[in-house]
Amino acid sequence: MNAVEQDAGELVGGLRRRDPALIDYLIEQYRYRLFRYLLMLTGHRHEAEDLFQETWIRVLEKGHQYKARWKFETWLFSIARHLAIDYRRRRQPESLDALLQPVDTGRPLEVEDTDATSAFEQAFQGEEAERVAAALAHLPASYREVLTLRFHEDLELEEIARVVDSPLSTVKSRLYRGLVMLREWLKDIYV
Amino acid sequence: MREESHERALQLVDKMQVEGLTAAEREELEAHLEICVHCGKRARETELALRAFRAAAPHFDSSLVLRTQMQVRLRAHEIIENAARLRALWISCALSWVLGVVSAPLMWRGFEWVGHRLALSRVVWVTGFALAWVAPAGVAAAIIAWRQAERAIGSRQ
Repeated sequence: MNAVEQDAGELVGGLRRRDPALIDYLIEQYRYRLFRYLLMLTGHRHEAEDLFQETWIRVLEKGHQYKARWKFETWLFSIARHLAIDYRRRRQPESLDALLQPVDTGRPLEVEDTDATSAFEQAFQGEEAERVAAALAHLPASYREVLTLRFHEDLELEEIARVVDSPLSTVKSRLYRGLVMLREWLKDIYV
Repeated sequence: MREESHERALQLVDKMQVEGLTAAEREELEAHLEICVHCGKRARETELALRAFRAAAPHFDSSLVLRTQMQVRLRAHEIIENAARLRALWISCALSWVLGVVSAPLMWRGFEWVGHRLALSRVVWVTGFALAWVAPAGVAAAIIAWRQAERAIGSRQ
């Protein structure tokens, strides 16, 4: 049984009741997708793990706010994103402006990360992991984020706009720029 | 072939992945890619880059699920306990308010009597009555505010 296919009313009711069995099931169901999203967003394995736990606690606390008109994952990623921003804000208060800047500079959420390549290398498995890890480490977090929502999660553009709390035009522009950068880094990967 | 047609084809290559194409756009792109090696190469590079991106699978530590489920259950238990505590607090507040209202006339007479006995001015014993009536609520509000501030600081750390 997939949570998306699950009766929306049942999901809303369960979240409102803080049904522990339902939340256990959701954690199992979305574990990999949420973790991948958080890893793409933060570029740090431990940070992604901390945020993974915090996100589910927030789901428990704020479950009554979930509305069935949005896919559960859209709401889930949106919660995770807000927590990631708060987490960075607590760690680096001086980068508050960068976190909140609405202008699409391609670098909101971005922090100095000299060890990003190795963080992704450790996290990713597969034949081309090193190349992909290097490409991801060079992409700004805001581009990685929309790329993963579009090409891993297959979310619609409107849903992505809702998760990242930005206009549709910004989402498109990040996707196009991100795609160009990704292609540049990976263009000879299968040569 | 004109330069603009290549530019248009390259735009459509990206658009196909990001937004999707209409039937007419798809036809136009396919026709162009059949005769243009350069744009065809770009389309393949785009597909391969996205295939590599999609195939990249982060390693997931499965113990994280158990740890998270445990934490969520602990928090759920905490929320239930807090709710019960809050309910008890509201009930005691309501009872204390009712008791305060019911006992106010008696307290007034008591303060009045003490005021006369001690030959205090009316302002003094009326102020004493007001303080005695307001003090418990003030102390309770101060304790709640202090505990909330403490919890807010704790959650920020």
